[in-house]
Amino acid sequence: MSAVAIIGTGQTRHASRRDDVSQPELVREAAEAALADAGVGPGDLDAVLLANMELFEGRALPELWAGEGAYAAGRPCMKVATGGTSGTSGCIAAFHQVAAGLFDVVLVVGYEKHSEGHAQTGMALTDPFWDRAVASGAVGNFALSVSQYVAERGVTEEQAALVAVKARRNAARNPHAHLQMAGLTVEEVLASRMLADPVRLLDMCPQSDGACAIVVASAEAARRRCRRPAWVLAAETRHEQPYIGDIDRRLVTMRTLRDAARAAYERAGVRRPLADLDVAEIYEPVSYAELAWYEALGLCAEGEAGRLVEGGVTAMDGELPVNPSGGVLSSNPVGASGVIRVAEAALQIHGRGGERQVEGASRALATGYGVYAWADVVVLGAQEAA
Amino acid sequence: MIASEALEVSAPMDLGWRYCSGAAMERFLVGLRERRIEALRCSGCGRRYLPPRPLCGDCRLHLREWVAVADEGELAAWSVYRLPILDGRTGEPRPAPYGIGLVRLDGADTTLNHFLAETDPRRLRIGLRVRAVWRQELRGALDDILHFEAAG
Repeated sequence: MSAVAIIGTGQTRHASRRDDVSQPELVREAAEAALADAGVGPGDLDAVLLANMELFEGRALPELWAGEGAYAAGRPCMKVATGGTSGTSGCIAAFHQVAAGLFDVVLVVGYEKHSEGHAQTGMALTDPFWDRAVASGAVGNFALSVSQYVAERGVTEEQAALVAVKARRNAARNPHAHLQMAGLTVEEVLASRMLADPVRLLDMCPQSDGACAIVVASAEAARRRCRRPAWVLAAETRHEQPYIGDIDRRLVTMRTLRDAARAAYERAGVRRPLADLDVAEIYEPVSYAELAWYEALGLCAEGEAGRLVEGGVTAMDGELPVNPSGGVLSSNPVGASGVIRVAEAALQIHGRGGERQVEGASRALATGYGVYAWADVVVLGAQEAA
Repeated sequence: MIASEALEVSAPMDLGWRYCSGAAMERFLVGLRERRIEALRCSGCGRRYLPPRPLCGDCRLHLREWVAVADEGELAAWSVYRLPILDGRTGEPRPAPYGIGLVRLDGADTTLNHFLAETDPRRLRIGLRVRAVWRQELRGALDDILHFEAAG
């Protein structure tokens, strides 16, 4: 396998409704921005990878129509769909294509236009024999797992609220973010409506319209076209058994994310994640999950996640800024959300993060989380792997 | 119409599907008609799986050994859901609030995702003993169990 890098990123303005564009136009907005950022033209693309969830935008085969927006006609083009990990898995699939020597330049576009579909219908049409009678969607699933995590780790609602505040305040410095709330306070999070105990409205991610794209290149193409490529040091993905009840204390054990992180760190030479990484973009659909991921990603000892956020260790000016973009808690166009994590991590390496740039970032982490059944971990670096 | 104005399309549908359960799920569902709950035990790791399925995901072994499971057990996770979200069986919103939980039935190792009769968070805790409340006329489906209530 040969070296692979990300040489350009682009994304839309994410919002609850992007009524000004059609689905292909939304995709084109991100694709065009990524190509411009990479300094490549549509004619330079060897292949296109799309990431998107079916049933979330009110039409079958959304990729058939969106491909036009991603310059896909006349080229290899396929879609990856694995729930919330669709975007990170789409990026990883492109890394594999390029690393295998199949292509030199691949465009990945993740997108979702929630405002045109019924995500609840998609969630409700789960396994007809077991899940469908009792499923309570993403919020219900998370609330169950959060009850276990809180009971076992003693995490408080204030600590979770700190995560929600950090995300929305960071988002205020990201022109693409959906929920920008520079003045949000812990008190306001705690006063927001209870959705499913103990998860409140402001503990949850929004549903967004949006798209995000990256340009993946072979080592030779990356060196030729990019001043500071974001090299892919590791990319790991893990799947889990199918039912939520199969997983013992999901947020505590988190086998998928732990295993993927362990393998990725080993490959990338990350020994002490908190010290060795400069910035992280992690997929946190609910505030409590970010705390659980701190443990699973080895950023702190078991049970110390609450203290990590209280101490500001993961704030913009902390030892390891987590989600300078505002994260999934601030923008969640599902199929795009994983691509956004990877793109934001690459943006930090490129040094083009604007107001959300972490000074001198040279090693960045990106993760994806799909239902409870997938986890992806990507490590990017300014230095090509030896 | 101008470009920035969304086109509203109404599409009322009355959709039906047919699904094949597979042999393991069929035996489980048939058992429910007689208030019988059975799990499949893995000969490798010993884990007793609900829902029963043909293969252990961890050991990759075929599951063949059926074991009896009680209709009561211990609450392993809980929440009180306060949104009227879509019910996948009816296509209608499910009235809220309602309790939800993961129940580890006596004799099983995985947990069962189901409803709870209790909607007061102060009366719910992990470890609470709960028992199934069955529907009057059993139909051979998971919702033959209406919900779980505190036992004893």
